[in-house]
Amino acid sequence: MHYPWWYVPFFTSPMLIAIIAVLHVLVAHYAVGGGLFLAVETQYAYRQNHREYLAYLKEHAWFFILITVVYGAITGVGIWWTIGVASPLATQTLIHIFVFGWAMEYVFFVLEIVSAFIFYYFWGRLDPKTHVRVGWMYAGSAWMSLVLITGITAFMLHSGRWPEERTFWAGFLNPQFVPQVLARTGGAFLLASLYVYLHAAFKAKDPALRDLIAARSARPALLGSLLIVLGGIGWYLTLPESAKAALVAASTLNILVVLLFAVTIAVFFMLYLGPYRNPGWLSPGFALLFFTFGLVAITTGEYIREAVRKPYIIYNVVLGNQIYAEKVPELRRTGYLEGGTWTKAWVSHHYPQVVNDGRIDPPRLLMLPEEDQVKLGEVLFLYHCNDCHAGRRGFSAVGQLLRGWTPDMVRTVVKHPEKAHFFMPPWAGTPEEAELLTKYLLRITHPRPGGMRFGEER
Amino acid sequence: MDPTTLIGPSSPLGYPAPYWFLVFFKVLGFTLHMIPMHLWYTGILLAMLLQWRGGEEMQRLSRRLMRPMPIVIALGINFGIVPLLFTQVAYYKVFYPATILMAWPWVSIILLLTLAYYGVYIYVAGLRSEGATPARWRQAVGWVTAALFLLIGFFFSNAFSLMTNVRAWPDLWLRESVAGAPLGTALNTDDPTLWPRWLMMFALALTTTAVFITVDAEWLASREGAEYRATARRVAFTVSTLGVIGFALTGSWYVFGTWPEEVRAAMMHGPMRALTGLTALGPGLPWLLILWQWRRGGTRARAAATALAQVLVLALNAISRQIVQNVELRRFLDVTAEPVHIQWSPLILFLLLFAAGLGVVAWLLGQLRTAESPSG
Repeated sequence: MHYPWWYVPFFTSPMLIAIIAVLHVLVAHYAVGGGLFLAVETQYAYRQNHREYLAYLKEHAWFFILITVVYGAITGVGIWWTIGVASPLATQTLIHIFVFGWAMEYVFFVLEIVSAFIFYYFWGRLDPKTHVRVGWMYAGSAWMSLVLITGITAFMLHSGRWPEERTFWAGFLNPQFVPQVLARTGGAFLLASLYVYLHAAFKAKDPALRDLIAARSARPALLGSLLIVLGGIGWYLTLPESAKAALVAASTLNILVVLLFAVTIAVFFMLYLGPYRNPGWLSPGFALLFFTFGLVAITTGEYIREAVRKPYIIYNVVLGNQIYAEKVPELRRTGYLEGGTWTKAWVSHHYPQVVNDGRIDPPRLLMLPEEDQVKLGEVLFLYHCNDCHAGRRGFSAVGQLLRGWTPDMVRTVVKHPEKAHFFMPPWAGTPEEAELLTKYLLRITHPRPGGMRFGEER
Repeated sequence: MDPTTLIGPSSPLGYPAPYWFLVFFKVLGFTLHMIPMHLWYTGILLAMLLQWRGGEEMQRLSRRLMRPMPIVIALGINFGIVPLLFTQVAYYKVFYPATILMAWPWVSIILLLTLAYYGVYIYVAGLRSEGATPARWRQAVGWVTAALFLLIGFFFSNAFSLMTNVRAWPDLWLRESVAGAPLGTALNTDDPTLWPRWLMMFALALTTTAVFITVDAEWLASREGAEYRATARRVAFTVSTLGVIGFALTGSWYVFGTWPEEVRAAMMHGPMRALTGLTALGPGLPWLLILWQWRRGGTRARAAATALAQVLVLALNAISRQIVQNVELRRFLDVTAEPVHIQWSPLILFLLLFAAGLGVVAWLLGQLRTAESPSG
């Protein structure tokens, strides 16, 4: 409401956040778990004086840098880029609450970068003890990054005591913090092993070496699986009631939860039967399939984690449509168009006749010609609804969802969306504005599909 | 339309630290960011030119510029996070609207940067596997990478000039929007300050690259011969001269041709006049030091003095830019007048971690002294 709404046809702009976030998270977990893998295994290889394994680890470290330092770092910055333009009020709020959380994470990020480059570029030039220490320095810094960022992302799902206390720690140490740290740490272990299998299946030519890698990486992966289960249970138990309800009520989430369970169970079994019990199974095909399952599980898990938060971006603080939850009653009185900085400027510029004494007068909106009312309905739709719904076509398009609805049905849902679906935000405008939005929605709604028969009344 | 009506209300949360604290880290971060950023901004282009047209020693210099570039870029991105973070804390009212108006070019930076970064790796991998002259296709990748970084710089100049060019927002918005929602396709190309700012950064980047060549020749190129070092000093002088001339021309264009009256009044009078003068004349100092080394020969101490002088030049530039930014915004908002609710314990914890982090980085770098020389 304080900022312009970026219109992205078909997809909606928040979907760009989802795309970049998922692309990032697939690598971010590896950046943590892979760092631990390199530290532990390099230490082991030095102790055993295993030259072939050390050579492999150096090759893996190069792969690790190319994936995490380049792609991981840029997509991490990319999340900043997209949340700022697609969800500005929530970003502004988060950054004012947690700027020092991010600043602390930044310190660890610097340590990650410096230690990662020293670990790789000075391979063979540092004495083993120092080399391993640098590896542990990386692993520790990467895990601290995970802890710090998880405190912030977990806050978005459960703001805990923050709405009452409004302090950094009340927000950071929220109920979701520990479960999500556990789950993400487990995810980091597991995903790192899948990356290792994928890399080793193609790069480690010696079968004995490949078996060693498979067997040794199975243990952290199994530990990771255990942490994911523990974290997942904690995550579910500390979910807000509406998030638990969304998991059951939303059909897309039902399917995704089933998919997540199925893929996760498949990964556990493959891990146990494959690398743990039969390291020789690690072929390129097996590793690819394993890796794909891991990516599907992580992607699905992230999607569910994001989706159950609806209708909030920050639970109980900022709604998906970029308004403070506490401002809804005021906006219902004064008007959504009046309350928004850019909506008010747009209306004042195009329809000065509806402005009275510097404020938009809601009854005057309905005195405008019909086409202008529809146009204002479009403004309301874009600013109030487009964060989740495309218009005529596209992601969750209302033009498709409302097919066959009568004007009264549309009007009722516009006035009380949170009663139609509890995961929708409440209407935050006047009754006159609801009428404008209704007119626009009826204009873009596709007709009821023909050819459907339900028997004939006699 | 009055552009001030497009600036939203203050955050009820207020600043989490005093304004001076936020702006100190913003300016410090930007200064540190400029060092590596300048190297990729003009260093890659220079390396490609030297590889294409230079003789044997020039090509050697080209390789020496490109080999550390993956680390330079990682550090540059890393250092860039700090000013971006504190810009969003203190300048949120103008940062978000400006980047939303040009959302597509702004977001495309991520894709362009990814491509450019991998382009650098592809080129450097060629230097390792194919020796002195990478394959033609890798050279093509190098040229594309250099162009991508110039384009990224152009988008950055757009975003940060649009942030203060609030006056232009209504037109850009009404021209490129659907029912009041911006399409995110605007660029700030009608702003007279855009072009000199973009070019001025390019010229300043040339001077930083020249300093890097000098430092590299004296501190890091011990295995290279005297002929190489002489070539490096000559190239450094040429590049620095071009940079200084470019800086003088574009800086004059920027200051005398585009500064609005209020900025000129603020920066050309009283104590600010000294800062403006130092910022304008600053690049002359490293240039003189480079000239000295070209004529009299370089030493490690001279190179270190040149590097220190360049860091001062960049710091002066960052400070002046910050003051100009605030003056440009003053008619629309006062960023120093926001409410402040200091988060003491996270702030102190951050400072402790920051100090400890510097200690750990120093320890890590200290370990490198014990490292053996690379074989082969």
